[in-house]
Amino acid sequence: MFGVTVIGLENLRQVGRFIIIANHNSHLDICLLFSMLKIADISRTHAVADMAYFSSSRLLFNFVTFLFNTVWVNRGDTSRESDPLGQLKSLIDDGHNLIIFPEGTRGKPGELEHFRSGIGRLMAQYLEVPVVPVFLMGPERALPKKSVVPLPFWNTVIIGPPQVCRGSHREITQTLEHVLAELARSETARRHQRMPVREKAEEKTVTVAFLGIDGSGKSTISRMTAMELSESCRVCLISDRLELYKQGNLSDYQPLVTEKIREALSRYAKKAQSLKLYKIPKLAELLLRDYLRREVKRWYLADVIVLDGSPLLNMVAWAGLYREKPMDDETYSKAIAVLTGGEAAIGEHDPIYTQFPELTVMKRLKLTGMELPDAVAFIDVSPRLACSRIDARGEQKQVHETEEKLKNLRVGYNMVCDTIKRRYHVPMTVLNGEDTQEHIVSAALDFILSSLALGE
Amino acid sequence: MTYSWSSLTLLALCIALTIAVVSGRVMKRHASFDAYLRYTWIFFLSFTLAEFVSFPIGLWVLALLSFWALREYFSLIDIRIQDRLGILGAYLSIPFMTYFIQIDWYGMFIISIPVYAFLAIPLFITLAGGEARGTVFSVGAIDFGLFLFVYCLGHIGYLLLYSTWMAAMLILAVMLSDAAAGMVRTRLKPPIAQVLGTYCLSLPLTVPLSWLLSPWTGIPVNHALVLGALIPALVIMGRQTIDVIKEDLGIIDEELLPGRGQILDSMKSIFYTAPVVFHYIRYFLK
Repeated sequence: MFGVTVIGLENLRQVGRFIIIANHNSHLDICLLFSMLKIADISRTHAVADMAYFSSSRLLFNFVTFLFNTVWVNRGDTSRESDPLGQLKSLIDDGHNLIIFPEGTRGKPGELEHFRSGIGRLMAQYLEVPVVPVFLMGPERALPKKSVVPLPFWNTVIIGPPQVCRGSHREITQTLEHVLAELARSETARRHQRMPVREKAEEKTVTVAFLGIDGSGKSTISRMTAMELSESCRVCLISDRLELYKQGNLSDYQPLVTEKIREALSRYAKKAQSLKLYKIPKLAELLLRDYLRREVKRWYLADVIVLDGSPLLNMVAWAGLYREKPMDDETYSKAIAVLTGGEAAIGEHDPIYTQFPELTVMKRLKLTGMELPDAVAFIDVSPRLACSRIDARGEQKQVHETEEKLKNLRVGYNMVCDTIKRRYHVPMTVLNGEDTQEHIVSAALDFILSSLALGE
Repeated sequence: MTYSWSSLTLLALCIALTIAVVSGRVMKRHASFDAYLRYTWIFFLSFTLAEFVSFPIGLWVLALLSFWALREYFSLIDIRIQDRLGILGAYLSIPFMTYFIQIDWYGMFIISIPVYAFLAIPLFITLAGGEARGTVFSVGAIDFGLFLFVYCLGHIGYLLLYSTWMAAMLILAVMLSDAAAGMVRTRLKPPIAQVLGTYCLSLPLTVPLSWLLSPWTGIPVNHALVLGALIPALVIMGRQTIDVIKEDLGIIDEELLPGRGQILDSMKSIFYTAPVVFHYIRYFLK
């Protein structure tokens, strides 16, 4: 009824006397172990058991003593006079073998409990007796802890090579525990496992946004920062393309539909001929970026998301570009509030809605669920330098990439960053875009790690 | 008592296999081949017992084989402690089904596992109490094992009831297809080539076999030819499925031992073949 497969029996047969240590998960363990012994050895092998557990019935007590030549140990007895190991030591002196379960009790099925110190103390005095580690797999299913009826299951007994102990008793216990754990691990590594239960992952994802006008180099800076950060954690970069970084390298990821749509939109937007035509596709692209950020949080479980331009803040700053007159801090703050869904603080007939009818539309379409990034780095460059960099790129210029418009944009960004720092307490830093790339990146990293060390 | 030629051939086959198995033990050939031979030998032992001694004895040997396979499967899958009652129910469904084969009650046999066992086992699992999470996965795993190792093997038992040589022919044809598959597996790499190669290599073996055996099995020639062409296809399908399941369960070919997938691996071709062949024969010939 119980099939048994024994692996490594020669390890047991090659030693004349031994002390078997095994993991203990079921009452069947001892039967299995005894069935592996040579007939001649049976009378000389003793199991070590706890007297208190088995003393409940006289019949059981005698039965177990008869079957397994049991040596009774009082587990709870810590008084000085009784030496629980005394009987064991005298048996070993006589040349008998022992079977010991170092966990001390039946553990949870499939898990190895911490070893008690008894085995170490015993072996410290008998360093020459080989210890044979045995791993049993199967009895914890056949007769688990609270069951009375055993069920047919295959039992696998894996006998490891005999160990010779050395060192202090603590070291011995530790070594033996490692040995048995290794044996267990090598056997259960391939075991069939159902889908692991997905715990509700805490929202540990941190978002870092790099702001800057076109030509400030934010794409490059954000990429380099992402690569640097990914040495220690999973980083996802959302810029013109979606990139996932692990250990400084680009890694494969499962494509998202949102990303494909966004790329198409962004290409379309870049080819716009006038500011008006650029507005709607760019707005849509920014919204999609935000949606993408949420999807990345959910599916990629990235630790850090680096944004090349925050959708929310870009939108707000760009609004300033589209209104010819400059905006003030109050307006920006209200716009951010609306876009992040906190418009309850603002009245329904606030002038901001007349200023920006788009906000009304977005509110009605329920597109106002955007989030502020957890940290913002603004890369500041002069518009002239930006323009020269854009020219150097050699691509077709987008409609807003003139020096004057870039100047307005820069002012807008500055004000936005100011607003979020003062009103929304988002950690913000201004990086000097005219510095070398390494300096900027290292400054950015310092800022990120310091400002987020509070949160992480 | 005079025995017919067919019965004597069966006995001779069984004896030949016995010799092969015993000599395998002594000579220690390739381990998985020895195991394969051993389980084929058990099949033929059961057929011979059914022919010469009595049908129920042969049938219950098959039930024992089912039990071993199911036990090995349950030892390999990840089940929870609270599924134990369901496992007990699964083991008990073997004699439940086998009894219906013995008394030739087809109606109950054919639904004993898919209806009654599949209804009872989730009930038993839920009766044990404990956490509900993971019940569906447990039920799925246990049911799948029941289906493959009990139900599909039970069809061989019913085939045995119809005629011993029908079952024997099935096993022989499966052996030939397995031999072809084994030869092809080491030589051809791309999957399409393997499938086609196995099929084309086993066709000239199984079709003549079933044609030649048709006087003994009682299957008319045309159906015998169709069966001969059908069996290799089913063997290929079965091997493909079970190979992937083996990988999921963590069974690797180099370390096959009973309890670690040896039984599963040795009988993998039969699980798909037996039910289809049985139903084919039942539909056309009964």
